[in-house]
Amino acid sequence: MTVTTDVNRAPRVSERVALALVAQRAIAEMPGVRATSGPSGRWRTVGSQQIIPGVLAAESGAGRIDVELHLVALWPLQGSFEELAEQLRARLRRAAATAGMGARLGAVAVAFDDVLTDGERT
Amino acid sequence: MTDKIARPVSSAPQGKDIARRDDVVPLSSELGRTTIGEGVVTRVAGIAAREVSGVHDLGGGTARAIGSVTQKVGLGDPRTQGVSVETGEKEAAVDLTLVIDYGESIPRIAGAVREQIIKRVEGITGLRVTEVNITVNDLYFPGDDEPDEAPRVA
Repeated sequence: MTVTTDVNRAPRVSERVALALVAQRAIAEMPGVRATSGPSGRWRTVGSQQIIPGVLAAESGAGRIDVELHLVALWPLQGSFEELAEQLRARLRRAAATAGMGARLGAVAVAFDDVLTDGERT
Repeated sequence: MTDKIARPVSSAPQGKDIARRDDVVPLSSELGRTTIGEGVVTRVAGIAAREVSGVHDLGGGTARAIGSVTQKVGLGDPRTQGVSVETGEKEAAVDLTLVIDYGESIPRIAGAVREQIIKRVEGITGLRVTEVNITVNDLYFPGDDEPDEAPRVA
């Protein structure tokens, strides 16, 4: 069975939410980290039909959208926190450029909020 | 029993001279800011200590007893039990309470734990570890975890 999707019928999302979705994919594709919405669930971007945990995207007022990524690092780490953050920023900038939003992406803040060992990953 | 490290550049006693931040360690970057939660540094120090053979557990007897209760009611994080970290902009000081396996050399274990914590925390977070204060609170004997003998009478 073939399922076709009419992209024109897909609900439109703002660039802010679209960029948050790009960031969510960048995190998911990055080994050694996971997104986290935090213990109170406040680190997330909410669109009309989406909730994107671990990503805060906000207009910066200068025509750019700043992004804040909240992460859990998986032990053992593949480098230092700063190296992981730089790798993730590079991935996000590439992905945003591919999605045609490279010029809109502002500062990318990365926060490491927890570390999980093998036995703690569920 | 307390075993302290004195790094040559810093003389900060118990890390009290470390410029404090509230709960995060910020790292500058032209493309954005990287922050490491203080709890994360505590976690790294605790994981590093547990990597050393001969370390049975972290935390004192009372802390572990209270910890087991608070965990049962959903309070407290067992993963940071026995570890206290004070972080500044560029430095960190670690206080640690250990339970060591009986028969192991306490000085050797303390030295290995100190080296491992410094290696991990400095390598992963970029913070300079100014001191690692280790308190060996208890020794673990094989069989300590086994339940008490069954009553002799019904």
